[in-house]
Amino acid sequence: MKMNKVDTEKAYQLLWNQITSLELEPGEILDIAALADELGFSQISIREALRLLIHDHLVEAPPRGLYVAGLKFSDLEKISTVRLNLETLAAQQAARQATKDDLVILQTLCEEVAQDTRELFTLDQRFHQAIAKAAHNNYLADTLDRLYGLSKRLWFLALPHLDFLPSAVKSHIKLVEAIRNKDESLAMEIMQNHIEEFYLKIKDIIQEKGLIEE
Amino acid sequence: MNKKNQPESLVLGIDTGGTYTDGVLLEYNTHRIIAAHKSLTTKRDFSIGIENVIKEIELADPAAIQMVSISTTLATNAIAEGKGKRVALFLIGYDPDLIDSFDMGNRFATPHYFYIEGGHDLHGGEKAPLDLQDLLEKTRAVQQKVDAIAVSSYFSPRNPDHEIRAQNAIASVCDLPIVLGHQLSTSLGSVERATTAALNASLLAVLQEFIIAVRRAMENRGINAPLMVVRGDGTLMNDEFAAQSPVETIHSGPAASAIGGRFLSGEDQALVLDVGGTTTDLALIKDGKVTVSETGASVSGYQTKVKAANLFSIGLGGDSQIRMGRGNQITIGPERVVPLAYLAHLHPNVKERLKALSKRGWPAPYPRELEYWFMQREAADHTTFTAREQQVIDILKSGPKPATEVLKTMGLLDPSQIDLDNLWREEIIGKSGFTPTDILHIEAKHTPWDIEASQAALSVFSHYLNWDEDRFQQAFWETVTEKITKAVLHFLTEKEIPTENGTGHDLALWFLNNTLIPAHDQLETSVNLKIPLIGIGAPAKVILDKTAQVFNTKLVLPEHYQVANAAGAVAGSVMVTEEILIYPQLSAGNVDVIGYYLQARDGREEIEEFEQAIDKAKHIAGENALSAALRSGADNPQVEIEVIQDGMDSYRIKAKAVGKPRLEG
Repeated sequence: MKMNKVDTEKAYQLLWNQITSLELEPGEILDIAALADELGFSQISIREALRLLIHDHLVEAPPRGLYVAGLKFSDLEKISTVRLNLETLAAQQAARQATKDDLVILQTLCEEVAQDTRELFTLDQRFHQAIAKAAHNNYLADTLDRLYGLSKRLWFLALPHLDFLPSAVKSHIKLVEAIRNKDESLAMEIMQNHIEEFYLKIKDIIQEKGLIEE
Repeated sequence: MNKKNQPESLVLGIDTGGTYTDGVLLEYNTHRIIAAHKSLTTKRDFSIGIENVIKEIELADPAAIQMVSISTTLATNAIAEGKGKRVALFLIGYDPDLIDSFDMGNRFATPHYFYIEGGHDLHGGEKAPLDLQDLLEKTRAVQQKVDAIAVSSYFSPRNPDHEIRAQNAIASVCDLPIVLGHQLSTSLGSVERATTAALNASLLAVLQEFIIAVRRAMENRGINAPLMVVRGDGTLMNDEFAAQSPVETIHSGPAASAIGGRFLSGEDQALVLDVGGTTTDLALIKDGKVTVSETGASVSGYQTKVKAANLFSIGLGGDSQIRMGRGNQITIGPERVVPLAYLAHLHPNVKERLKALSKRGWPAPYPRELEYWFMQREAADHTTFTAREQQVIDILKSGPKPATEVLKTMGLLDPSQIDLDNLWREEIIGKSGFTPTDILHIEAKHTPWDIEASQAALSVFSHYLNWDEDRFQQAFWETVTEKITKAVLHFLTEKEIPTENGTGHDLALWFLNNTLIPAHDQLETSVNLKIPLIGIGAPAKVILDKTAQVFNTKLVLPEHYQVANAAGAVAGSVMVTEEILIYPQLSAGNVDVIGYYLQARDGREEIEEFEQAIDKAKHIAGENALSAALRSGADNPQVEIEVIQDGMDSYRIKAKAVGKPRLEG
């Protein structure tokens, strides 16, 4: 595995967080020298971090300049379609492959209580990553990881208009139960409904409030 | 590339000592020093002092530099001052009663340690199942209170399974960095392994920030070269390795000095004495190499499993404060202050005040009136001070003042009545006093600053003692030589130095005293050092001259000995070691040997035949060491493999890959 340099890795994490939480807004110009000064990094590390983010589809590099990738309504459809299928696959594989350790981890994550919607999202993300890990297919886990970044931006866009989502927690508990019982089709079904519900809600809010141009 | 035709390989070595941060620009192949720079060490943030060196050292062409290498007391200092990050330590399969009964809980370097069921036995068999549930509950409970997590499992070098499973689980529930004991140490001492893991975890972010700052400074100066960091045994690792195992940089400063002394002098057998501003550090060169401590580095009372040079350090340096001790004894150090010559050089009115003090008839001037306090830097705007701190700052704003005057203004009698630790530590106020550097000014041996101020201070001391000034100087030099001589004797013999017990009947003490100052009419005693002394650091020449005489040996001062420490930062080899354990797999009831386990860093496998296991271990260890050495910047590393018996039927296969650093233009 090729390691990124320490400073590139750190700069990447910082920028990833700023972009996925919309602190750096879609379409915003990214000035390497200014970012290096502001964050206290070498310009090389910022440049390398941005290159990684281009690969993540979070930064765009048109012929001139660098921008935070724009958000389009069609992205929502595309991302949700891919995630829906891959998450369902992950749930199925997890039901087949999960070890005792995986089940302890999933159970622990289910029992954790979020204090607010933002924390709930973090927990939800951890839960999905743990499912992907329990599927014991690193290619699947890597692909899903990259989709979380894209998904997170849509979620943060809707965040101010969202209510608490206790139903998500309930479906997590049912999902762990299905995985424990090695019930592949039930695990797939719960996951499918869970993801669909999530995207429908986000889609509604984004459309209703006109948060992205169609 | 043909080395002979290559005109120059320029490298930049930087050493951060307790007082100064030194930099040298050096031609790697010929060891020729082209430029040197000295900057004050900034303890509050070491990277500032290093940035200053990188910014200011004379460089004709920064782009031509092929390597930057740094030795730093950052890790040692962070541990000593509690600046490391907060760590939760999980001890899997450790016996709480045993730890308690030996009162070892305070040896883990963190108050947040937790016992978890699990662990293995000597044969790598599972002692008890890992209680993952409990581990995760404890992680959830503590994760908001710490910045990193360390895990050490009982006998993990024999079987790291529980550490790896713990890491996997912890990483699923939180984002904190995780350090595993078996990755840092393959030896079986469970307490030291846990301590090493906890210290490493606490230093991860510290070293990461440091590397980010240094790389930014390099870029600003137009230097595009690999960055190396010196380990505690003087070898080099690249910055990526350093960021993962910061604990290995403990004691890297003194190790670099020793290697620099060897590098510049070419002496293969010698005792290196590095006289810095704060301390004098001793290290032994044997067959061209710095000797390494058998037990592992210890820092701030914590015993680790980190390989480090065998060092001894005493609190005596050029800027050690000279004071009057009990019974009118001259004491030197361990506190480091700014020499009065330098303070007066910056603030001429200090000189005038010192001169006036030395001429004052009544009340007679006291040596303690020679301690000055001064503003060292402006505090950042957002800093808030206590009322007392603010008062001191207000008093010092108009310029340096004697400590006695500051206290008097505040209506206090003794500095112990106020807590100014914060101001000292943040280097907002500084302390100045009479130092060996001042004596060197008076004796015209080293005179960059104000001689008159030093002279006035000397006259206060000798006046107070009713001595003439020559007698004071003589007594001072005797004290210096005695301290260093005792340090050398203790370091080389590992014996305790006898102390004055009042009876006068101790023969060892008499030998020592008579050797230092011959006093017997008939008996002459002497001790001969069979190897030369190598002196390093600006005051080395004068400070060590008499010590070399006592030991009847020569004092070697290599060219540029003042900055040999910084040269040492680039002089080490890049080294990576890789260990694999082979131990028997036993039948049920531990009766028969039915095969062998081969335990490498990342996994364990079973092999039936012993010979086959050894061959395979040698192969894997060699390959791993080689590729790790290449990744950490070694040029054409050579691999040596050693098989060491480690208990019954157990073997340790150790591969060491060593090469010169790869220089990149």
